[in-house]
Parts: sequence; C-alpha cells; structure tokens
Amino acid sequence: MFPNSHLPGGHTDQVAQRRARCSDIYQRRLSSRSEKVNPGIHSSSHQQQDGEAAMHGAHMDSSVRYTPYAISPYNRKGSFRKQDQTHVNMEREQKPPERRMEGNMPDGTLGSWFKITVPFGIKYNEKWLLNLIRNECSVPFIPVEFHYENMHASFFVENASIAYALKNVSGKIWDEDNEKISIFVNPAGIPHFAQKELKSEKVEKIKLAMNQQCDVSQEALDIQRLPFYPDMMTRDTKMASNPGKCMAASLHVHEENIPMVMSAVGMDKWKGTEPGGKCADRSPVCTTFSDNSSNINSILELFPKLLCLDGQQSPRPTLCGTEAHKTLPTCKGSFFGSEMLKNLVLQFLQQYYLIYDSGDRQGLLSAYHDEACFSLSIPFNPEDSAPSSLCKYFKDSRNIKILKDPYLKGELLRHTKRDIVDSLSALPKTQHDLSSFLVDMWCQTEWMLCFSVNGVFKEVEGQSQGSVLAFTRTFIATPGSSSSLCIVNDKLFVWDTSHQGTQSALFTLVPTAFSSVPAFSQEQQKMVQVFSVQSGMNYQLSQK
Amino acid sequence: MRKCRSHWSQGDRERHQRRSHYYEGPHTSHSSCGGRTREEVVTPPLPEHAAAGSPMAMSVDFKTYVDQACRAAEEFVNIYYETMDKRRRALTRLYLDKATLIWNGNVVSGLDALNNFFDTLPSSEFQVNMLDCQPVHEQATQSQTTVLVVTSGTVKFDGNKQHYFNQNFLLTAQSTPNNTVWKIASDCFRFQDWSSG
Repeated sequence: MFPNSHLPGGHTDQVAQRRARCSDIYQRRLSSRSEKVNPGIHSSSHQQQDGEAAMHGAHMDSSVRYTPYAISPYNRKGSFRKQDQTHVNMEREQKPPERRMEGNMPDGTLGSWFKITVPFGIKYNEKWLLNLIRNECSVPFIPVEFHYENMHASFFVENASIAYALKNVSGKIWDEDNEKISIFVNPAGIPHFAQKELKSEKVEKIKLAMNQQCDVSQEALDIQRLPFYPDMMTRDTKMASNPGKCMAASLHVHEENIPMVMSAVGMDKWKGTEPGGKCADRSPVCTTFSDNSSNINSILELFPKLLCLDGQQSPRPTLCGTEAHKTLPTCKGSFFGSEMLKNLVLQFLQQYYLIYDSGDRQGLLSAYHDEACFSLSIPFNPEDSAPSSLCKYFKDSRNIKILKDPYLKGELLRHTKRDIVDSLSALPKTQHDLSSFLVDMWCQTEWMLCFSVNGVFKEVEGQSQGSVLAFTRTFIATPGSSSSLCIVNDKLFVWDTSHQGTQSALFTLVPTAFSSVPAFSQEQQKMVQVFSVQSGMNYQLSQK
Repeated sequence: MRKCRSHWSQGDRERHQRRSHYYEGPHTSHSSCGGRTREEVVTPPLPEHAAAGSPMAMSVDFKTYVDQACRAAEEFVNIYYETMDKRRRALTRLYLDKATLIWNGNVVSGLDALNNFFDTLPSSEFQVNMLDCQPVHEQATQSQTTVLVVTSGTVKFDGNKQHYFNQNFLLTAQSTPNNTVWKIASDCFRFQDWSSG
C-alpha cells in the first residue's frame, strides 16, 4: 500500500508556508517588471559596512494581498515584520572576524566557504528541504549551488558562523517519515564556481548599464549576506530597480532563500556605482545559470518598496504570468495538439452536428460504439426558481452530487447506442453555432481521443424557441472505420448564459475551431485511422 | 458482459511499483497544523482484482462499473477541491507523473510543470454544484480502468472576480489487493465565460 506521509510538526510547517508564501507574493507581484536577464557574471567588490538596514515593510500591507492559506492578515503582517527584524538584527550582529577579511581580496578569491551536506538528501525536494532547515536555523543563509550528488544533497554557504549554525540544525529536523535529518558541514576551500568568471559581451553591457543606473547603498544592503553585482544590471529602466534579479540568476539561488535585506531607501540609491568601488570584489561565480524567469525575478520580489511602487503593473500573459494582483494565466482558445487531429475532430463535429440539428438524430447511431455511455447535466442552482429554457433538460439531468437515488443514477446514464440515440432524439431540437465552438483536446493516446467542445446553440422550436443556451460536451472516441471517430463516452452539460450576462459575448467568440476545415485527403484518412501512433503525438501535445 | 482480468499484466505491476516509489518521493504535502490529511483518492478494490486468483474469469456487469465510477468520482471531487483550496502544494499528488492539464487553453504537462503552475495560481475558493461521471469504455483505455469525471460550479481566485467553471478529469485506477488508488491522467478546466475572463 501507499504509506501516508508522516508530516513534520505543524507549526514548523506553518512558518515554512508563511515564509514561502511571502516570497511567492513578491515574486508574483514584481515579475511583470522583470525581463529576462542574461546572467552574465562579474565580480564586484564591496566592503562590509555597518549601518542600519532599514526594513521597509509599511507599504506592503494595504496594497498587498497575501495568499498564505488560512493565515489571518494580522499574523501575516506580524510574522513578516518580525522576520524583517530578525534578519536585520542577525545580520548586524553577524560580524565574525573572518567576515571582514572576506571579499576584500582584489584578486577575486574568497574567504571561507563551507559545504553543507544532507546525507540521503536526494530523497528531498530542494525547496522543502531548504525551508525545513531554514525554519530551524538560527541565522538566515543563502544556499549556493544547491545540488544532489550521489545520494546526498549539498549546497555552499559563505560564512563560518552560518555554517556553524547549520551544523546545529543537524538532528533537529525530521522528514515526513519522522526520520531525523542530519547535516554535515565541511570547509570547502574555494568552490569551483568561485574560480571562474564569465566574460561576455552581455556582461560588459550589463556592467555598463549598472554603473549608470545603480547605486549600492551600504545602509540598505547587507552585502555580507548578498554578494551583489551591480554590474549586472541592464540599461533598461525596468531592470534598473531589479538588481536582485541578476543576483538570483548568477547565484542560482533558490528564490525563497533570499532574506529581506534590501530596503526601499536603498533601492533609490542604486544609481551609478563604480565597479570595484564600494563593492568588494568577490566571486562566487556560478556556472549554472538559472534560466527560469521566476528564479530571476525572485530576489527583487522581496523588496518591499517595489511592491508599492506601481500598483498597476500590466499583466503579462504568460502561463506563469503573475503581477501585483495575481492575474490568472491568460485564457486561450482551442487546443488541438496537432493539425491532423484538429482536422479530424473538426470534421467529426461538423458531421455530428449536421445530423444532430437535422431534426432526425437516428443518423447518429453510426457515430456511437455499441456499448457507449451518455449522460447530460444542467447546473444545479438552488436560487433558480423561475422556469427557464433549461427545464426540458431537467428530467434527464444527472448530477450525482445531489442525486442519491441509485436507481436513477443508473437510469440516467444511458448505455448502448440504441438507448443513447433514443434519448438524444427526445431532447429539444437545436441549431448549433459552429463558429462559436471552442475545442480542448485534453487527452490523446493510441487508442482514444478525449476532447471537449464548448459553444452555443439555439432552440428552434417550442416555448423557448430562439433562446440561446451554452454547452460543454465531452467526447471520448476511438478510431472508427473510414477515418471517422467512434464515440464511447459522451457527456453533455448545458447551461443558460443569460444569468451570467455573457450571452452576447458567446456569440462574438473568437472564431476558433471552424475557421477552415479542409477535406481529408486519402493519405490523411489512412493516417488518421491508426491515430498516428508515433511518439510524436503526445510529444506535440507537450510541445504546445 | 465484460470479462475481468484475473491477474495483473506486467505493465500493471510496473505501474504499481512506480506509484509506490512516487508516493515515497519528494512530492510531499505540508498539511496544516493539527491534521494529517491524506491526498489520495482511495476506494475499495476493483471487482476484478477482488477475484484475483480465482481460476475462472469473473464477469463484471456494467452496473458495477457505474457504481465504482460514482464512488471514485465522489471521493475524488471532495478531496481534489479541498486540496486545491486548502493544501495547494499537495495537489499534484493527485496527478500521474505524466498527467496533462489544459487550463483555459494553457497546456501544462508533467508534474514539474504542474507543480509550478499550481504554485503560481492564486489561492482559490471552489464551489462545486454539479458532478457527473461515466466509466470509460475499456476499448479506449486498453483495460486500464478509467473514469470520466465532470464538474461544474463557481470559483473565486484571489484578486479576481468569481467565475463559473467546467472541469473534466480522466481518473485512472491503480489497483492493489486491498484498495484502489485513483489519480488524474488528464485534466481540462475552463471558465464558462473564458472569453471575458
């Protein structure tokens, strides 16, 4: 059997979740500002400075909406601020002697790096593990070059005190099987990634841009904690305020590991620093560049001021697009998986609805498998008391959420093609608007296609003649004879759009599926009959 | 009448083993404090497997498949939307490794992409008003027990207006002698008013 996971202590989880969510919030909020930065790396020098790292958290509250689940706003704010303070205090106090020496080496070599290893850490998800460690660790840390080697998970930290603090975490954290997790700490010398420096045109360009636009405020930036490469900023104004992006990219730092060290005040002062000026030359130059735009965006999301800088960021229509107010991914039209399948399905739908709307649905017998299933549903709206055009569908509606009668449950699922076509014939006559059709082909294998059709139709007779209804119909079909499809499952859902006020919108839907349906060639028919078993089929699906 | 398989095929065994490994793997859930909740959809064993070992092939009638499908669907829908709303990070445990989601026309394929996708989706409040299901004909699934689940209702994503939605799932069964674990092979989600949403 599959063992239930043994979960770590709830409180730790909540904290982890909370922190993770805080990071996520910022990430989402600011990603629209960000553009992809080629993470060219160049060491910059900096010196450790004393000073207040003023944590600016005030503005984030009103315009910011947190999404940690089931955490009250008060607690969120509270915990976040506390986190700020903690980080700030920690970092101010964290000045062991060797830190002063670190990073001040003009040849770019580094002070003390330590390799942190979690034995058998290969079992653990990176994010999860780091969060777990972080919750228990008395100091914040940035794990660099997290990787799995053999069975273990490892990362580097650049500070003896941090390494020591991490060592103390060993044995104090548990995995989901309630097994203790150990942490081993070893001096690392200079890690390989610290020895290389990437030179490229882009790096130069970025350096130039950053010089012009970026300043490192020693008051704001705890350089100890964040090796900062002001060189990496681009000329682009949007990027100007997002230096963290570069950092994250270059360090391959996990997005949630970046403590809140930048202040709003600091951000303003990021203008025109000389390389090698305030920043010490240090180079944990990371040779693994994260291409992931969320990683790149991540650090900056943590900068409070930017959250309130622009409350009207324009949404980015990407799959994981996010912005200040958490827009959803852009809604798109039909998805077919391949041109061939598109043609196949569209032709099928054309033929199907031609018969369906013809007044005699008996012709559909040839479209169904002998043992096919069909059922239909309409929405269950307790508030709906007025008779609607849906009432004719009511008696056939199968909604097992509310239908408990086992006899009816069975009856309303039509089985065998004869039963199905009889039941379809009893439904009101319709006229479907093919130009309104939107098709999602959401599963395809060698043996079947599964697709859902969304669209509208008109009732063409009876009391509700002329009323427009919307539908979603899901077909599961296997290859039929002569390049047709054979329906094995058919599920129809009908609803009335008038209460949603989207009726007119539906009629003006982007013409999706039926813009053009070429006739099948002989060759196409042959191909179609075997559903193109090549691996290309599903591969295409994922490619799109 | 359908005949049942009286023993697993090699493919089934392999799938079963892979699933075990998957469950112990790093895709873990963090449940909220005080609760150990299970992100699994489990029903009693499938009829044919209950008869495993019997020298005679047992016939399973359509009604049994329907009942089984309904049971799986009801159990599944409860767990799925609660997990989506309250334990989002555990949601991908309900998906097969190679599962695909089409979300308002956006294709998300494989667990990594699904994890990332659900991570970036705002928090949600789902209200399911309609649920229906059908057993999928074995000709389409090569005898891999599968159920079509269809839901409809409303959803409110944080920061966005409420939408009516329709959702379709293909659930496949991983069977053991003691129970059946259902996972999502494919998922299709759409706002009803997608063009204006």
